[in-house]
Amino acid sequence: MKFYKDHYDVIVIGGALAGLSSALMLAEKGKDVLVLERHNLPGGIATSFVRGGIEIEAALHEMMSIGPEGNRLKVGKFLEDMGVNIDWLKVPEAYHASLPGIEVTLHPGLETFAREVDKEVPGTYEKVLKVLNLCHTVFDSVNELSIHPMSKVQMLLKHEAFVKTAGYSTQEVLDTFDLPKKAQDLLAPYWIYVGTGFKELPFTIFSVLMADYIGYGSYIPRKFSHEMSLKMAERAEAMGVQIEYRQHVEKILVKNGRVYGVRTARGDEIHADYVISAAYPNKVYTSMIEPLSEVPQKAIKMVNGRRLSLTAFSVIMILDKPAEELNIHDYSIFRGDTMDTDALYKDLAGLGPYRYLTCICHNFGNPDATPEGTCSFSITTLPRVDGWKTVSADDYDRVKHAVAKQMIDDMSKYLGVNLLDHVLEIVIETPMTVAHYTGMWNGCIYGYAHTMEDHIVARLQTAEKEKFIEGLEFAGAHQISGDGMGPAVTNGRKAAKNVLDDMKKKEAAK
Amino acid sequence: MKVKGFLKDVGGASRVTKARLNAFQSASEKPETVDPIGNVAREWHPGKLDLVVKEIRTASPTAKTVRFEKVGGGKLPPFYAGQFIALDFEIDGKIVSRPYSISSAPFEARKENGYVEITVRRSKGDGFIADYVNDGLKVGTTIKGNIGLGQFYYEPLRDAHHIMALAGGVGITPFASMAKEIANGTMDAELTILYGSVASNNIILKKELEALESDRVHVVNVLSGDEPDWTGERGFLSAELIKKYTKGDTSYFICGPQVMYRFLREEIKKLDVPARRVRFEVFGQAKDITTFPGFPIEKKDETYTLTVMRGIHKDEIPAKATESLVVALERAGIRIETACRSGECGFCRTKVLKGDYYVCPENDGRRAADKDFNYVHACAAYPLSDMTIKIPIE
Repeated sequence: MKFYKDHYDVIVIGGALAGLSSALMLAEKGKDVLVLERHNLPGGIATSFVRGGIEIEAALHEMMSIGPEGNRLKVGKFLEDMGVNIDWLKVPEAYHASLPGIEVTLHPGLETFAREVDKEVPGTYEKVLKVLNLCHTVFDSVNELSIHPMSKVQMLLKHEAFVKTAGYSTQEVLDTFDLPKKAQDLLAPYWIYVGTGFKELPFTIFSVLMADYIGYGSYIPRKFSHEMSLKMAERAEAMGVQIEYRQHVEKILVKNGRVYGVRTARGDEIHADYVISAAYPNKVYTSMIEPLSEVPQKAIKMVNGRRLSLTAFSVIMILDKPAEELNIHDYSIFRGDTMDTDALYKDLAGLGPYRYLTCICHNFGNPDATPEGTCSFSITTLPRVDGWKTVSADDYDRVKHAVAKQMIDDMSKYLGVNLLDHVLEIVIETPMTVAHYTGMWNGCIYGYAHTMEDHIVARLQTAEKEKFIEGLEFAGAHQISGDGMGPAVTNGRKAAKNVLDDMKKKEAAK
Repeated sequence: MKVKGFLKDVGGASRVTKARLNAFQSASEKPETVDPIGNVAREWHPGKLDLVVKEIRTASPTAKTVRFEKVGGGKLPPFYAGQFIALDFEIDGKIVSRPYSISSAPFEARKENGYVEITVRRSKGDGFIADYVNDGLKVGTTIKGNIGLGQFYYEPLRDAHHIMALAGGVGITPFASMAKEIANGTMDAELTILYGSVASNNIILKKELEALESDRVHVVNVLSGDEPDWTGERGFLSAELIKKYTKGDTSYFICGPQVMYRFLREEIKKLDVPARRVRFEVFGQAKDITTFPGFPIEKKDETYTLTVMRGIHKDEIPAKATESLVVALERAGIRIETACRSGECGFCRTKVLKGDYYVCPENDGRRAADKDFNYVHACAAYPLSDMTIKIPIE
């Protein structure tokens, strides 16, 4: 029996958001694409599941880079351009911040946000708006430069703020504004979406994060992130992409420095000119390339020189009362007993207690998210992989329940309601859950940490020199734009662009 | 604008690029292949394992307990008491998969040369496989099994500390597992089992369960048959009987035949307990799909052509309106992965490219977007016309 064509232009390993974005873009240019996904549905962690007849979001808190209808940002626009029409719902607020001495709900819009911060910390309107405007300027530059690279001199002339802040951490730039501590605390909650403390986090990344989320708000698909993943997969198939589920790629086949195909766990050897891998470079370069002698030492040094970023631990509950009756009044609650991001980041390397929790109640974004009389409530922390690496299979269940209990108890105390008295369904997602369903290296969902030693500007500068095997590209959180479902799409497009550029170059050389 | 001074500011990009290259320069050359988090995930969910039948013993005059160990020995994966194993039976060259609640306890699987056991009654409902388990499986037979599936288990962050098991027939098995785990001290809960049987000589796992009775495990046998000598409880698992044994905050766990589910749903309503305290094990494959609401009875004798796509490969097979797509595929010798066979787990998620179908309303565990795009769980979907489907390559 023949299940595959003799040859494809491109094989994409992994049918999650990055891989599907690559596939869409390549199919749009008429390329013959095969997507191999290990699970039996698309999306990776951008998915949902059904428990007790209720559909539950697996991972998405809120999508960035979507933007309102008629003024879509890059991810929203790309999906529309590809003919992927998502039923987007706007998340009503930025976040409810519950921090030492602070209880406030802040809303998107740079001026709105600055005004709301000013109400909490009088006299800071001008300064906060200045920070946000600087973020927006840098954000605009990043978007433009990612499409139109230019010389350093030109850059300095046209993108001064971007150039002059690129060498500094978030804390270094924020320090120049001399903000009261409370005001900086109110600007900090989203840090967890990029996952590094402010002393290490490049200001460039902070800028993109703030300008995108605060400037334009965030969105969720009406039928959970599975709607987004499935519509991307369906559209790709309609454009001629072959997607095969439950196919686990074990080997990437390489000869004389050039990729020529893959081999799956069931033994199919499939040939292609290009392979785009969502599997981590760590896994690809240490166990997937066949033969391993094709892996240059530089590739090993590169993956060893990078720090894995965050994984996820979520307690997802369906509660048997409407949200308001449980004192839940916001879509998202960001709660910390400190907003010292560097101290929090340090804590994330352990196994708890986790002091910074992000909670989502989907019903405020989508009133129909759960059956009448119930609500969904998830409590998430995004630990570093380090602590979880020490947990054994025999100890796993105990640790998982202890951490979950701590998080539920903390939020119960805060809400003044014992959540444990209302649990209709509960699912505890751990780094191991992520590893089980997606195969991601050490369950890491954030790729490599955004730090001053692994800065996005540097990543862009050296990307060309980090191609160690011809025809092999990567798409996923481990690539230039880093973590998040929005950046996943951008990372996938970048991989497809690299393939298309290389194809053109080869064509021209003929 | 100025952060720290012109020269330092404009040198930022070069500085961070250098820092990155330096970090790579000084990194180790040794390939780091360790993925401990992935390893734990694989230890819990290794997928299908090669198992061997080690022992078969009588669990009642009509039921047998079969013990499986890993081929070559060793530990079996951890699981939660109440979960099931999906076994791949190879009968007449065709592979047919079935879920069975594990009747042994998780701690027994974690021993060196650990084991899992299932207990199966002959010719009840799904006769042909049950008969095979009773008569066809021999000590030494090898079989593939996926251990630790399903959502029917005690979750301390959700359930009451006191569990009342409402069991019928072979539905006792998940509770046998819980009872053993509690007795072993590795599950912190109290369990009262109300176990309905027809005749006293046909109570499955009777001795094993009696031996486990303690202040944390209570077993109450309830007979529906007419036996003059029986001194225990009689009748069905009525609301009245359930009330009698309920003490304080209790979670009701229900496992048994489909008729019992229908009966108990009504009885539970009379108890006025919150929904979160009631958990049903999956319904199982519908015994007679024509009895479900909305099934077009006029099509019950139809056989359609089912076109099956796997990759670019195409097959055409017959499919009866009254049999699920999974059964049609298995009859034709086409592999499809299944686990719960109750429409819940989604292992057999299948794309319908063309044609009409009926989904068993008891077993529709699909995601909303999947419904919009004509995905079905093939174990709970029935053809109502010629159809084309796409399934994963196994």
